[in-house]
Amino acid sequence: MATHAATNRNDTLDRIMRDYEAVAARLPDAAVPREARGHAKCELSRLGWPKNSDEAWRYTNLRAFERVPVFQPAVLSRLKGAAVAAGDDAPAAMQLPALLPGFERLLYVDGERRGATATDAAVDGPRWPAEQRLGLLCDMFASDVAALRIRGTAAIEVLFVTSGFAAGAACYPRLQIELEPGSELTLVERHLGAPDAPTLVCANVAIELGRGARLTHYRLQQCGAQTAFSDTLAAQVGADASYNVRQVAIGAACARTSAQVRLSGAAAALSWQAIAVGRAQQVHDTSLKVEHLAAGTRTEEVFRGIADERARIAFSGHIHIASSAPGSDARQSLRGLIEGAGAEIDLRPRLEINTDEVKAQHGATTGALDENLMFYLLARGIERTTARALLKWAFLGDVLRAIDLPDVRRAAEHGAAGQLPDIMAIGALT
Amino acid sequence: MSSAADTAASALLEIRDLHVKVGGQEVLRGISLTVRAGELHAIMGPNGSGKSTLAHVLAGRPGYEIVSGTASFEGRDLFALPPEQRARAGLFLGFQYPVEIPGVNNAYLLKAALNAARRERGLAELDAFEFLSVVRAKIKLMQIDESFLSRGVNEGFSGGEKKRNEILQMLVLEPRLALLDETDSGLDIDALKLVANGINSLRAAERAIVLVTHYQRMLDYVIPDFVHVLARGRIARSGDRTLALELEKRGYDWISEQAA
Repeated sequence: MATHAATNRNDTLDRIMRDYEAVAARLPDAAVPREARGHAKCELSRLGWPKNSDEAWRYTNLRAFERVPVFQPAVLSRLKGAAVAAGDDAPAAMQLPALLPGFERLLYVDGERRGATATDAAVDGPRWPAEQRLGLLCDMFASDVAALRIRGTAAIEVLFVTSGFAAGAACYPRLQIELEPGSELTLVERHLGAPDAPTLVCANVAIELGRGARLTHYRLQQCGAQTAFSDTLAAQVGADASYNVRQVAIGAACARTSAQVRLSGAAAALSWQAIAVGRAQQVHDTSLKVEHLAAGTRTEEVFRGIADERARIAFSGHIHIASSAPGSDARQSLRGLIEGAGAEIDLRPRLEINTDEVKAQHGATTGALDENLMFYLLARGIERTTARALLKWAFLGDVLRAIDLPDVRRAAEHGAAGQLPDIMAIGALT
Repeated sequence: MSSAADTAASALLEIRDLHVKVGGQEVLRGISLTVRAGELHAIMGPNGSGKSTLAHVLAGRPGYEIVSGTASFEGRDLFALPPEQRARAGLFLGFQYPVEIPGVNNAYLLKAALNAARRERGLAELDAFEFLSVVRAKIKLMQIDESFLSRGVNEGFSGGEKKRNEILQMLVLEPRLALLDETDSGLDIDALKLVANGINSLRAAERAIVLVTHYQRMLDYVIPDFVHVLARGRIARSGDRTLALELEKRGYDWISEQAA
């Protein structure tokens, strides 16, 4: 193993290990048990830093992650630590979104909780496979955790803000959600902040839904232009439980989502609807693996990506239906819209079926705006730029309309429109 | 009837010896037609005769090669204008197959289209309240539920609803020249009467309508001033509404044979 690890080491991994050794003694066990940190360190060392030659990392802009100067959490960094320790008023100076009516807000600045709201005790996180190995970084370095055990019905917003104090270092948001049987949670997870130097935001999300539980999970990623954003998620969905994800990826220089959802109980259901909008040289790369492990499980996967200018958007959707999952139903609809001459979209649907009696369908299309739709609008006298904007808006419409909470939908729409300036001009926003 | 040679000042549309290719094939082979304000022309013909091509070329759809000939609209060279400018100048194309655009609602499209046309005419744009008062009366005429305004353009509409929506758009935009491409196709008799009512309500001295149709039945409800029969890319015969009745009895073969 030592030989294997040595061959995978490179400068970035060396820096990660050095940074870890420098702060390991000060990292709180309450956020991540010490053994779990040690395991993550060994595992990352064994797996090595990812390479673009690996299929699972082919589209990630790894250089954005390698440019991060310091992997230590900003709150422990020697350079920034003092400022952050005194920086309780930092979030007040930032423009935080208005409170969502009926929601409890948990605020985390640079990965650490602000305010008095207590969360539950952290649990051991998932063991990350190679394609989710950036999750190991968060296991190693996280200094806090939002651990929530839900009984009954709840509505919670978790706001992860990266402040200017974190510029040049790293933040490790960490979210652990457990829904007890029959409980219901509406969760808004939002990542904000725009530090003025290459900064790592490396989030881990672990979710467990008990029998009959229901989680609607809104995810808005609006990090700054110099942020390398990693989002590693593992969800386990029990019998008759449903997990509904609405994800909007807008910000960051490079955003990588590595998600794995296991439908482990009979009739468990996943609805994953996501959009990514990229411009300039942004990269949005999502890898979603769904495992159907029990009978009658269902997946609905919808992705819409728009790549403008020289942006690159990738979505890999792998659905595996095990022999133990007869009667499963899996649908994938992946669509990409290329707007920029230097833009690129790579959609990779994959259905792997190991049992009979399943319903499965998938479709992936990438292209430019539909000329028939364009002509229809032009023939009504609509300006060409307005028509283009309207059609781009319509392209994202399936997913945006699936955001049931008006305040969240408005935030998502305005975020997406901010990436597509001509949309702001047409006044089509709700 | 109108003729290409007769270029009265009131001519809205003047087509001269128009030749058009699609995919290398010549589909229109010398069309000449004059349409004056106040007139309603029906263009009939068998499948593949070039009826829809003519409507779409005039509206500016890409993909057609204009080999030779001219078309002017109120004296302006139509082919020099992009499609959106033709529309804003007052030319309306009613689509045979209206597209669905989920995510763009009908009210937004109608208001944007109407205000674009009003700007072109030097009129003030309508605000939301004024727009609604304009559109409500037209919706009632077309027997469309008001909730449709907040739905996506043609999203989930039946064939008949889509055609009614086309006519509604026409009523709201009040074009100078309406080209209606087989608006009657796929309509049951009730929907056909509704659509015909809509068209008739728009007939006016300052406006012209060109109705492209395969069947005579629409012309029982919308009485044309002129009927032209296209065959093999040319106007093979022109006449008044009795020509349509003759076609109903005899079919198109005899005209196609003559055109050949």
